[in-house]
Amino acid sequence: MSVYITASGHFLPGPAISNDEMEPLLGYVHGKPSRLKRRILQSNGIKFRHYAIDANHNTTISNAAMAAKAAEHCLSQSFIGKRQVKMLSAATSQGDIVLPGFGSMLQAELGLNDIELHSSHGICSSSMMALKAAFTNLKAGEQQNALVVASELTSRLFKASRYEAAGSTPDFNAEFLRWMLSDGAGALLLENQPRNKCFRIDWIRSFSHADAYPVCMSVGYPTDNSINRSWQDYPTYAAAEADGALLIRQDVRLLENIVKLGVDGYLRLIAEGRVQADKIDHVLCHYSSHYFRGKIFDMMQRAGVGVAEHKWYSNLYSRGNTGCASIFIMLDEFRRTQSYSVGDTILCMVPESGRFNNAYMQLTVVEA
Amino acid sequence: MTEQLLSPQGQQCLQALMRVWFEFERQLGRVPLLQRLERGQFSKADYCQLLLNWRQQVIEGSRWISRCASSFDRDYSDVRSVIIGHAREEHRDYEMLEQDYLAAGGSLSDIQGAARNVGTEALHGFLMYRASQPNPVDLIGAMWIIEGLGQKMASGWAGQIDNCTSGDGSYTRFMRYHGANDDDHMQKLYQLIDRLCQSPQQLSAIVRTARVTARLYCLQLEETDNEY
Repeated sequence: MSVYITASGHFLPGPAISNDEMEPLLGYVHGKPSRLKRRILQSNGIKFRHYAIDANHNTTISNAAMAAKAAEHCLSQSFIGKRQVKMLSAATSQGDIVLPGFGSMLQAELGLNDIELHSSHGICSSSMMALKAAFTNLKAGEQQNALVVASELTSRLFKASRYEAAGSTPDFNAEFLRWMLSDGAGALLLENQPRNKCFRIDWIRSFSHADAYPVCMSVGYPTDNSINRSWQDYPTYAAAEADGALLIRQDVRLLENIVKLGVDGYLRLIAEGRVQADKIDHVLCHYSSHYFRGKIFDMMQRAGVGVAEHKWYSNLYSRGNTGCASIFIMLDEFRRTQSYSVGDTILCMVPESGRFNNAYMQLTVVEA
Repeated sequence: MTEQLLSPQGQQCLQALMRVWFEFERQLGRVPLLQRLERGQFSKADYCQLLLNWRQQVIEGSRWISRCASSFDRDYSDVRSVIIGHAREEHRDYEMLEQDYLAAGGSLSDIQGAARNVGTEALHGFLMYRASQPNPVDLIGAMWIIEGLGQKMASGWAGQIDNCTSGDGSYTRFMRYHGANDDDHMQKLYQLIDRLCQSPQQLSAIVRTARVTARLYCLQLEETDNEY
């Protein structure tokens, strides 16, 4: 049985925020401008992004509500109504509340009845894991359709007050993601029948390497983690926060591994015969930063399985890096704004640096 | 990266070698000593232990590569020239390693008196055996792993070792030196891949030797923690 992406949607909160508007909105830590901001922005190449918080640090829309907006946007262009949705598969790296699962909160927000539910937890690749769960469910004939939604509201972690609560000036690893990540949601509708011009999912595969690499992106460890303590091991949450255990960090030193592992998975898929480099018409790769795009591109080129530059599409620069939502927001905009023909092959790649999980998907453009 | 001129066979070989390399990096990521290094829980004593174990392989390295050169017949004299040049450049590298060991607080008699660890025995035995075969084309796979490691040492390990042990680079010279010359070596390797990988049989032999070298190299590093 084949599975198709028959509709897509997105939601980006508030106005587009330029690089100059970022820090006034997120706040000056201890009243001082960041010394790292320029360098990090230069390397990631992002020009605009959206935030679900305002300059007074009020949350303007919750994560679940953003996800619901993206889902509604998706459904509004589909052949099915809310009552016909059979499955909801949701992803986020951090819901509005710790428990229950994000999917439950989103289901309530959307008002979907009697659905089968799946929540996927992780970082950038969690959307692909949510997608795979829905894909296999349809493929097994268990359901006829599934709504897959990925949403992120990380800006709450970037308020100046959060860094101030953790004491002195944040170190590079703790500040890095402040200039990388932003908010947004994307949604895809999967069905077991094609509708108009749509995308057939040929396969979804992922390779995780957590056993071979340390944690690279995290929330929950303190600045000095030599005793392997988690935020939940402190007597109070206030103590955990003061120790920097609630800051989101990226171990920048380990980040480069993402390039090799991303290419490694790609080479495996070639060796398995799943991917043929010369047959790829479009590449949608969720790279967190322009810097990595060049590196991935070069390494694929070097291996003799590169894909020409004009076939690469990304809206990272204008929509921001929205973590797990990025690939859906990208696919949605690609669907609406780019030109593609029946028979075209689309390769999607999501190399995640959390603890190195790399997900891949191949789509073929079909017409019902 | 500079553009490479690789034949289709060479290209396939390169792809397979890249995958072996990525797998090797994951194997390294599971070596306890290196995990401690990644976590920053790595002392100067750990570093000395690493050098102590490493020295034997560095010494033996120049031997298998010299033997490899001499096992190529006259049809491969161009290859022989490249490999002889390489062997000559590196055959006294261990002296720099010993100096690092001294600078890090070790004593010359300790490092010179140390025996090969179990992994080094296996690695050296395998490489000498392969190098003794006529026209050992497959050893390009071993060079791929060992040269690649040079780059990794220089770009990753040396800095991390200095960070963990508050070093100033004065005792990580061997590792850094390896990276500095690396681009040139890698360039030569790409050319050798094209030259030496001309049939599917050669391809699979090269990849196999790369895999075995990678596994035994890891074994050597795992054995660094063992004292018999």
